[in-house]
Amino acid sequence: MSDSISEAVLERAEGGLVPAGDAAPARLLPGETRPHPTPRQYVMIAAILVVITAIEIGVSYLGGDIPNGLIVTLLLVMALTKFVLVASWFMHLRTDKPVFRRFFTVGVCGAVLLFLVVLTTLHVFQ
Amino acid sequence: MATIEQNPGELSAVDLVPTRSGHDSHEHETPTGLANTKLAMWLFLSSDCLFFGAFIATFLLYKDRSGQVGPTPKELFNIPFTSATSFILLMSSLTMVLALAAIQRGDLRRFRVWLLATALFGATFVGGQIFEFTEFTRHGLNVDTSVFGSSFYILTGLHGAHVIIGIVWLLSLWGLSMQNQLTSADAEKIEIAGLYWHFVDVVWIVIFTVIYLIPK
Repeated sequence: MSDSISEAVLERAEGGLVPAGDAAPARLLPGETRPHPTPRQYVMIAAILVVITAIEIGVSYLGGDIPNGLIVTLLLVMALTKFVLVASWFMHLRTDKPVFRRFFTVGVCGAVLLFLVVLTTLHVFQ
Repeated sequence: MATIEQNPGELSAVDLVPTRSGHDSHEHETPTGLANTKLAMWLFLSSDCLFFGAFIATFLLYKDRSGQVGPTPKELFNIPFTSATSFILLMSSLTMVLALAAIQRGDLRRFRVWLLATALFGATFVGGQIFEFTEFTRHGLNVDTSVFGSSFYILTGLHGAHVIIGIVWLLSLWGLSMQNQLTSADAEKIEIAGLYWHFVDVVWIVIFTVIYLIPK
């Protein structure tokens, strides 16, 4: 009968059952394929975000010392990095089913593309 | 009747409880096979990208229009102050995920602390925004002063409105938790609120860079 127990444990590992009690490992929420990051990982991501923000602010004060085009590129790359870090780690797109990531990517890319076309048409970048 | 022989350290059947995410989960009962509330939130956030995109594009279109009256962005923006409020909003995302992790562990005490901290950080951010608006108005930039003023106040004001809605949502969850109406089985509700909150944060990441940091 220990096989029955093993089957139950296996079913738990597949996301069907978890041990009772507060000491249980993180449960899978609906739509997830893997468990969420640990609190320690969350804090590390937040620390990275703080460092990038500090660099961003520093770069914004370099106007006049380095070309504006380089400043804009650096700021946009850092903003994109922060955006992706929050979306993938804090919004759990890394661990959720891919369909959620696709929905959000379509929305973000669609918005960026649409308004880039509009602003280019209106000569904003000239 | 057969007896169960259990090895030391192995889980027994009575230690195992069904979860809402398991094979009996309601997510598999939906036509899409996905959790409806989570799918709806992601669809809403996806459409909200277009909403904010429209106002960011409008700001970029109008900020440097010649012949505008009133102060310019360079004269008005207080980067150290806005950086501090941006930092606070960024940290609120951390407390939000820590709240979710706490309720998933069944640690309701820490969940309440982190959730309340998130709402307080959000309220601090909104307070900073109100202070900033007051300062700008004092320096002569009103919503009807110029097209720069209109597009700036509408964009940042709409973001602030999103933050206020998020604060009300978080405080509602906190109130339910204080009445013991939220348990670890309700972690999905917290995750949905968290998705909204993090979205507000990522939108501010874009606004902060595009509007405040990028030079003319």
